[in-house]
Amino acid sequence: MGLRQWLVRRAVSGAHVLVVEAPGAWQVRVAAERAVTRRGWRLARSPADADVLIVCGHPGPQLTEVLDRVWDQLPGPRARVVALAVGEVGGALDQARSWLLDDPQQRDEAAQRPLSPAELEDTDGEGDADGDDHGDMDHGDMDMSGPGGIALAMGGDDRDGLAMDVLHLPLGPVLPHWPPGLVLHCALQGDVITEAQVEVLDSTDDPTDDPTADPTATQHAARRCDAAVDLLALAGWDALVVEARLMRDRLLAEDTDQAAPLHRLRDRVARSRTLRWSLRGLGRADSGGDTYDRLLDLLADEPTSSHSGRDYVETLPQLVTGLDLAAARLVVASLAPMRLRPAAAPSGGGHG
Amino acid sequence: MAEVVVQVAPAWALLAALLTATVALGGAGLDGVLAARLGGRPARAGAATPITETARLLRQRRRTTLAADKPLWRIGVGGLGVVALLMVAVVPLGRWTLLDLPVGVVWFNAMDVMVWALVWLAGWGPNAVHSLVGGYRFLAQALAYELPLMFALTAPAVAAESLRLADVVAAQQGLWFVVWMPVAFGVYCLSVVGFSVWGPLAPAAGADIAGGVLSELSGPDRLLLLAGRYALLTAGAAFAVPMFLGGGAGPLLPGWAWVLIKTLLLVAALVAVRRRLPSLRPDRFVEVGWLVLLPAVLLQVLIVAVVAVMGG
Repeated sequence: MGLRQWLVRRAVSGAHVLVVEAPGAWQVRVAAERAVTRRGWRLARSPADADVLIVCGHPGPQLTEVLDRVWDQLPGPRARVVALAVGEVGGALDQARSWLLDDPQQRDEAAQRPLSPAELEDTDGEGDADGDDHGDMDHGDMDMSGPGGIALAMGGDDRDGLAMDVLHLPLGPVLPHWPPGLVLHCALQGDVITEAQVEVLDSTDDPTDDPTADPTATQHAARRCDAAVDLLALAGWDALVVEARLMRDRLLAEDTDQAAPLHRLRDRVARSRTLRWSLRGLGRADSGGDTYDRLLDLLADEPTSSHSGRDYVETLPQLVTGLDLAAARLVVASLAPMRLRPAAAPSGGGHG
Repeated sequence: MAEVVVQVAPAWALLAALLTATVALGGAGLDGVLAARLGGRPARAGAATPITETARLLRQRRRTTLAADKPLWRIGVGGLGVVALLMVAVVPLGRWTLLDLPVGVVWFNAMDVMVWALVWLAGWGPNAVHSLVGGYRFLAQALAYELPLMFALTAPAVAAESLRLADVVAAQQGLWFVVWMPVAFGVYCLSVVGFSVWGPLAPAAGADIAGGVLSELSGPDRLLLLAGRYALLTAGAAFAVPMFLGGGAGPLLPGWAWVLIKTLLLVAALVAVRRRLPSLRPDRFVEVGWLVLLPAVLLQVLIVAVVAVMGG
């Protein structure tokens, strides 16, 4: 029993956490990310990788439904907690920790869970067809005779005029470094997106991700820094991601002159030839500017972007069609400034 | 130090496996330390990362997906470590080797091509989009590094006029091959990073596809794949020692110690580059592979061949 307990304690000391942000709760998500890394825990990239699911903010009914399916995909031992405000994050993670440490309880729960997703589907009604992050396949009128009751893919002409299978894949809403509440319904051939449609979950009238604008200039700077984190993480530059997260946290704590960290980050980004080579030419918008330009713009003192959330929903499918998944993810992340509203009113001496 | 290499009994494979695992664990520990330092946490906590992660994954439940191809999935996931051990088998540890093949260099090349199949199978197995995309990304990346790697392996063999590793080591008595074949060595190291799905060459397990080939793995399966990556990194570093770094040559210490030290240093260097660079996306990297790396390494082989003919 001593060994078992040692194993459990060791295991929990390095738990992986899947952080889900409900629209409007970005500061809570940021606080959760900070708390997770402070504990020496790590951020999970997919439900399979996660021990803890922490939901930040109030998810609407549609997102809640998706979250239930994501929860089914956590392998276990697992814990699901909610943090509605920044101050609740620490307590939520403590709660998760004590649940993970409760070995008998976890074993009981594991014994009651079905072993395969097929059994889960029988009880659930709706299948998780591709085992993906939230795999809500559009079964429509497709032939359901494939293995495991999955619809067989239909053919279609690809961009080179070859007949290739078409797969329908929803990207989001539970996907790391993905705009909260956004679902991009893609038709894929290979890993190339041939068609895309935007859906905003639980949307009222406003397609921006965040009903509240950032009150201060420093917070808006932190927000832009956070958007850059997403893009850098997708570009795979892990060292700079860690630094950018620390800068973002300092900005939020407001213990720094607002422009200085962004300047440093911008210099680092601008100096990397590999990054430029990787992002140049991706998702060039009609108004000019590609993903690389948008990243630099994001970190500039005065972002030039004057778009609204509605432009975003219209531009997105057009920009990602014809791109492969990797490129499309980078483009989506680079459009962040279009979602973010500038600071409501210039407060104090700051600008931006 | 002109030593004859002796082939030892197969039972010593256990020791080889143990040494490989130890070096791989050291690499994982170093990676944990570097990650902790980057994030401003104490290095000691970081060093325990591999142990913590092992405990976590051993406790975690194994997970399946709908209509998963389990046998092929498991072969892909478990195969990486096996291939790494098969690579290590031909590396002479000072005077001893497990497998004194007359075609040791080709053996290594055959093993690294096996990685193509294994990573793809690991991506194919779970019947999930991100995982499969990861598997295919690896193939695209492999198309970029494999030919340059083959020619990089050719250079030392041409200089030594043999494909036997013992002969390659013996040919470096005067001068290590790394000194006069830097391009081949550089390309070789890049390829090791590539077939270990590591750092800038890890888009197959990238964040943009939720972890790609890793995205559906949990518990012991995930542990095997992660450990397999470190084992491949170790095997690649160990193989560079007889090929480019003079084998067991070095002052004071015995040959086997030097082989271990050189392997450890190279593993440490490969671990250190992990987070330094953005990912090289396969669709762009393939251009570099064919238009830059391949001509460069061919030129290197040409120079080596001319030197070998003139010298001979």
